[in-house]
Amino acid sequence: MQYFFFHLMPWPHLPADFDQKYDSAWIWLPNSLYDPVKGHDLYREYIDTLASVEDLGFDGVCVNEHHQNAYGLMPSPNLIASALIQRTRHCKIAVIGNALPMYNPPTRVAEEYAMLDVMSGGRLIAGMVLGGGPEYYSYQMNPTHARERFREALDLVVKAWTTPGPFTWHSKHYFLRYVNPWPRPLQQPHPPIWIPGAGSLETVEFVAQRRYAYMGLPFFHIDVSRRMYDGFREACRKAGYTAKPEQMGWGITTYVAETDRQAREEFEPHFWYFARNLLKGITMAPPGYMTPRSAAAAFKNRGKFLYGGDKTWKDVEEGVYAIVGSPQTVIQKINHYRKELGVGVCLTGSGIGSMPHHLARKGLQMFSREVLPHVRDEAPTV
Amino acid sequence: MFETLKKLKYGARVLLSRSGGQPETITVNGRPTVLMHAGEGPPFVYLHSSLGESLMWLPFYQAWAKQFRVLVPTHPGFGKSGGFEQIDTIEDVAFHYVELFDALGLDEVILGGVSLGGWIAAEFAVRWPERVKKLFLCNAPGLWTDDAALGDLFRVMYDRRALRRMLFHDPDGHMARLVIQDEPDEEKLLAAYQNMTALARLVWDRPYDPKLAGRLHRVQCPTLLLWGAHDQLVPPAFGEAYHKHLPHAQMKLIADCGHLPMFEKEQEFVETIANFCKE
Repeated sequence: MQYFFFHLMPWPHLPADFDQKYDSAWIWLPNSLYDPVKGHDLYREYIDTLASVEDLGFDGVCVNEHHQNAYGLMPSPNLIASALIQRTRHCKIAVIGNALPMYNPPTRVAEEYAMLDVMSGGRLIAGMVLGGGPEYYSYQMNPTHARERFREALDLVVKAWTTPGPFTWHSKHYFLRYVNPWPRPLQQPHPPIWIPGAGSLETVEFVAQRRYAYMGLPFFHIDVSRRMYDGFREACRKAGYTAKPEQMGWGITTYVAETDRQAREEFEPHFWYFARNLLKGITMAPPGYMTPRSAAAAFKNRGKFLYGGDKTWKDVEEGVYAIVGSPQTVIQKINHYRKELGVGVCLTGSGIGSMPHHLARKGLQMFSREVLPHVRDEAPTV
Repeated sequence: MFETLKKLKYGARVLLSRSGGQPETITVNGRPTVLMHAGEGPPFVYLHSSLGESLMWLPFYQAWAKQFRVLVPTHPGFGKSGGFEQIDTIEDVAFHYVELFDALGLDEVILGGVSLGGWIAAEFAVRWPERVKKLFLCNAPGLWTDDAALGDLFRVMYDRRALRRMLFHDPDGHMARLVIQDEPDEEKLLAAYQNMTALARLVWDRPYDPKLAGRLHRVQCPTLLLWGAHDQLVPPAFGEAYHKHLPHAQMKLIADCGHLPMFEKEQEFVETIANFCKE
C-alpha cells in the first residue's frame, strides 16, 4: 500500500461573510480577495509542508491544477512540482494532473512532463485530467468537446513520448506538422499515467480500457467510492484483465491527534471552511461536460457529495468524508476501508481548508509516526 | 429540365405528409431532422430558440399557418433531431438548413427565428441572400456590441429563479412559471440539459460571429428586428447593432417583454411578424 500526501493549496483567508455574499469560490469570485503578500507566505509554507513528507515516510507528493478559484492555488501544478523536485531526493512527484484540453497544443504537456521527469531523475507520475467543470468556464473551453479533446490530446502526448519524432499528427481537434518534443522522458516507455475521476462512467471505463491508474477524488460519500472501484474492477474485467490494486487510488482526507476528541476539535472548523466555502461552485458543470447518462447519475448522487444539504459532523463520520481521530481510530478506519475498497494507493492530506500550518504539520507527523507503520501491509482482501 | 437536374444534384427530394403540425422525421444529408408543418401559402420557416418551443405545435404556429405554409424544423442535436456529431459551429447549422431547403425543394422562403434561431437565420441570409424573401430576427445574438452586456445563460442555467429573471420581464408571470418550472421532473431536466449541450456546442467558444457584421450588407430583403424591450440576455442594443449593418431593416420593440416574446407577448409577436411578412 502506497501513501501519497496530497495538497490542494487552498486560500484560507476568505471573509467571514463569504457564504452570504458570494455564490461561488470559483470562476467569478473576485480576485481582489486574493492578497499576494499573504500568498507569498502561503506558497512558502505549503511547499515546506509538501517537501517535509519525504522524510516522514510518504511514497510521494501530489499536486493538481485548478484555475480562477480559492479552492486550490495551483493554476500551474508543474511549477510547484518543479520546486518540489529541488527540495526532495527520492519520493515520487505526482502531478494529477494537467488538464489536457486546456493546453493547445497538448504537446506542451509532453514537453513539461518530460522536463520534470528528466529533472527529477524519473520520479514523475504523469496525471492526465479532463479538468473540472469550472475550468471550462474559466478558460472558455467548449465543454461539449471536452472528452473528445481529452482523448485526442492524451493519445498525442503518449505517442509523442513513445514514437521517435518528428511525426505528423492529425485528429479532429489537433494538427501538428512536426511533433518532436525535446526532451524525452527518462522513464521508459513513459512515466506512469494516473487519471483522476469523480466517478463518471466514461472516465472509469476509459481508464480501465487503457490500463492506466484511476484516482478516485475525495469528498464523496463512501457509497460512491464503493461503486466507483467496483465499477472500475468490472470495467477491467470487461477489458479482459484483473485490476491491480495499484491501479486504484483512494483520495481521503485524514487528521490524527492525541485523542478522538482533540482531533475533531482541531480539525472540524477548518474542514467546514473547506466544505462550505471552497467547495461552493465546484459542481458547476457546463452543459455537455457530461453525457446525459452521467448527468442523470450525478443528479441522483447529488446528496452524496460533501457540499450542500447542511451536512453535520455525523454525516461526515457516517459517509466517511474524512477520517479523523486518535492514531488507533485512524488506523482502524483506514485498514477497514482500504481493504473493503480494494485500493493500493492512498492519497491523503491534512492541510485542508483554513488549517494552520503548525496543526497540519503536527497531524502529518503523528500520521507518519503512529499510523503509517500500521496501514502498510500488502494484499487487500478484494 | 436543367433546374430539375440541378435540384436532384443536391440529393433526394423529400415528400412531407399532409398532416398539420405533427412532427415527422426526414433525413438531411444523413441527419435525422424533426419537422412540423401546416398551412398553405408562401413557405415560412421558423427557427427555434433553445427553450424548447419546437417540441410541439404551439398556438402561434397555428396562427401563422392561416396565411403561410409554416415549417418548424428542430435544429441538429436539439430535441429528437440527430446529427449533433456533424455540427460544431453556427455555420454548420446554416449549411444544414440550405440542405434541408434543397431537400424540400424550397427555393425561396420567409425566414426568421427567436434568439439562437434568429442568429442562424442571419447566418443563412448572408450566405444565400437570394433564397430569403423576408427575414425576421427576434432577440437574436450573433453580433458583438460594447453598448450592452450579453447575458450568460450558462451561469444561471441551474438556478430556476435566476433563469426566469434573465429570460422574462415578469419572472413571476404565468408563462414564466410554465416555461421554467420550479421542480421539473428528471426527464424534463435531461431534455433541457441536452438542448443546452447543443447550444453550448454552437455558442460557447464565442457567443457571436466576428465576421457577421461585415457580411450583413449582402442581405437584400426587407428585415424585421423585433425585440423584447427588457431582454437581459440579448439586450435591444444587439438589435440596434443588426440595424446598423442591415440595408433594409426596421426595428420594433415589444414593451414589457423579455427575451422570449413568443411566450411573454404572444399576440403582439405573432401579429407583428405576420403583418411584416404579408406586406
